[in-house]
Amino acid sequence: MKTETQISDINSAKFTKQTKLFFILLIILLIIVFIMDIFLRSVNLKSGEVLKALFNNSGSEVHTIIMKFRLPKAITALVVGIALSLSGLQMQTVFRNPMAGPDVLGVSSGASLGVAIVILGVPAGFISGNLQNIGNWVLVSSAWIGAGAVMLLIMFVSSRIRNIMTILILGIMLASGISAIVSILQYFSNETMLKAYVIWTLGSLGNLTAGQLKILIYSVSAGILLSIVSVKMLNALLLGENYAASIGLKIKRSRILIFACTSILAGSVTAFCGPIGFIGIAVPHIARNIFKTSNHLILVPGSIIVGGIIMLVSDIISQLPGSENVLPINSVTSLIGIPVVIWVILRNKRNSELF
Amino acid sequence: MDNKKVEILSIAALEIGYSAGRKPKILLPPLSARACKGELVAVIGKNGIGKSTLLRTIIGLQPSFGGNVIINDKDFSEIPRLELAQQIGYISTEIVRVSNMKVYDLVSLGRFPHTNWIGRIDQNSHDIITEAINKTGIADLSDKYVSELSDGERQRAMIARVLAQDTQIMIMDEPTAFLDVKSKYEIVSLLQDLTRGGKTIVFTTHDFNIAINQADKIWLILENNIVEGAPEDLILSGSFNNLFDSDIIGFNAEDGSFVFRNECRGKINIKGEGMIRHWTEKAVKRAGYLPSESDITPCIQIVSGDKKEWVLKTERCTISFESIYSLIDYLENRSDDII
Repeated sequence: MKTETQISDINSAKFTKQTKLFFILLIILLIIVFIMDIFLRSVNLKSGEVLKALFNNSGSEVHTIIMKFRLPKAITALVVGIALSLSGLQMQTVFRNPMAGPDVLGVSSGASLGVAIVILGVPAGFISGNLQNIGNWVLVSSAWIGAGAVMLLIMFVSSRIRNIMTILILGIMLASGISAIVSILQYFSNETMLKAYVIWTLGSLGNLTAGQLKILIYSVSAGILLSIVSVKMLNALLLGENYAASIGLKIKRSRILIFACTSILAGSVTAFCGPIGFIGIAVPHIARNIFKTSNHLILVPGSIIVGGIIMLVSDIISQLPGSENVLPINSVTSLIGIPVVIWVILRNKRNSELF
Repeated sequence: MDNKKVEILSIAALEIGYSAGRKPKILLPPLSARACKGELVAVIGKNGIGKSTLLRTIIGLQPSFGGNVIINDKDFSEIPRLELAQQIGYISTEIVRVSNMKVYDLVSLGRFPHTNWIGRIDQNSHDIITEAINKTGIADLSDKYVSELSDGERQRAMIARVLAQDTQIMIMDEPTAFLDVKSKYEIVSLLQDLTRGGKTIVFTTHDFNIAINQADKIWLILENNIVEGAPEDLILSGSFNNLFDSDIIGFNAEDGSFVFRNECRGKINIKGEGMIRHWTEKAVKRAGYLPSESDITPCIQIVSGDKKEWVLKTERCTISFESIYSLIDYLENRSDDII
């Protein structure tokens, strides 16, 4: 029958030729921007020198710059982009809300509160106000807990209120409330602690110690693994929780898994790099529109690659190649992400589609 | 051959409701009913009586507060969620709103309880999905986005999804809501085809005609109990009279429809034959008169032929009308002159 062959032609391979092509192109693009991120910096280095430094330990100045600063920073950008995009993708599906993202719904704020309590709240003298001296694991765990607490709160609210805009406003309220608490903590903390905290809030990809980068990589790798495990659950949740349960999904268990994953991803990034906005909300939409699919088997790797690319590009822009100045990374990501978000809002008005 | 019907789904003294605060609110007295293999079961009852709650309890989305749901001789509570999903499929009135989701992807989600940990669609699954898509007649839509479908097409896609789930039982909450007459009957005839193929389908509906004329069995939910049986059994036993305890609506057991209980203004004899008589009677009833066979005045003489005419004879006068519309207009507004 004609119609039958038609269907198998289109769908028999889960990954169509076009999808495969997009993946290959995006991976090539990712590699290119990763290399560009290492090359294009305030201090111009000759590409020959960079290559030499990368592949042989000459002990030269260039080698130090590359291995101690540029490579770790590029890796950080890559990992941060992956983590924020994945957490945004998961939140959008779980909350069935196109505007969900770690920063918008206050999850990053929750993580900041965790961090603020550790940096500012721990009484002076107990530990010194220096960020580096606080156990990195303590810092990152407190961010996870803060992020997780906000996730639970939003879940609680969104199970009662279906309206997307109401939940967004609640997220903004939550973020404001948290920043008020943080202000109070700041008011009662000493100068050194305050300075450490303010620097942290500016967000930075370049201030991580080797130890912190290691923890970040471990956490995000765990997050990626959990994301891959949750692919099937996320696909079922696209139908809404009732249908998901009716096709055999254990709702509670999958929620816990996905929440843990999102909290680890968003929390770890926030703990070490500060709040970085709009990547989490924008990248999943870009991935959906590149691959024209709702299937998380494609969207999870898609968001990983697109997230990495966009974060690396943001980092390149923030370096203002050729100039001595450096822009705060948070401003760059906002300027890239906000147009995407506005586009999604306008499109939603027209189609009344969810995500 | 064993012709005995296989009982596949039954509820026994099932108490449905929801927990409001600390105390559960039980909606109805304990319910018992059965459905056999290959049956199309219509659940009817008035608005808000708990039809959807009953379906949600059967599918396990809502807890029961007593009694059992028995599927294939096994108590519901003993069946794990995933195994249950291999036996019962569910379609609610909730509309799936996802952009960038193709019809094929939607249908393939029905394979959830059968696929591996990452949800891989293997050749076997693909064949089942393709079959489901063909059976529901949406083959040419399979590469379209779900958001582009019409209400009827989307309902077909949802049914294809449940078919792909490959369950013996399908539970549907108002599958014909929001649909125009054509799509409505297409969906119902699709459901009938599926039950002929061995599926058991339990669906709620507000469309009384569909329930009476198409269903093999009806679960009629009343305030105080549930009555089950073939539609005709329920008509003959007068069960439908209790469905709406209302002064406005009454059940007409002769043609199986609900009619307005109009105040009776008097009897009119109708003289005429065939279809024109049938519709004249219907109109006269609507105007509040009882058509009568006996030779009384007032009477309406139907003149059929090329030029249709209705001649009304009363004690006082004889008037002829060119349409039922003008006849009814007179009957309604000049009732004092007629009787």
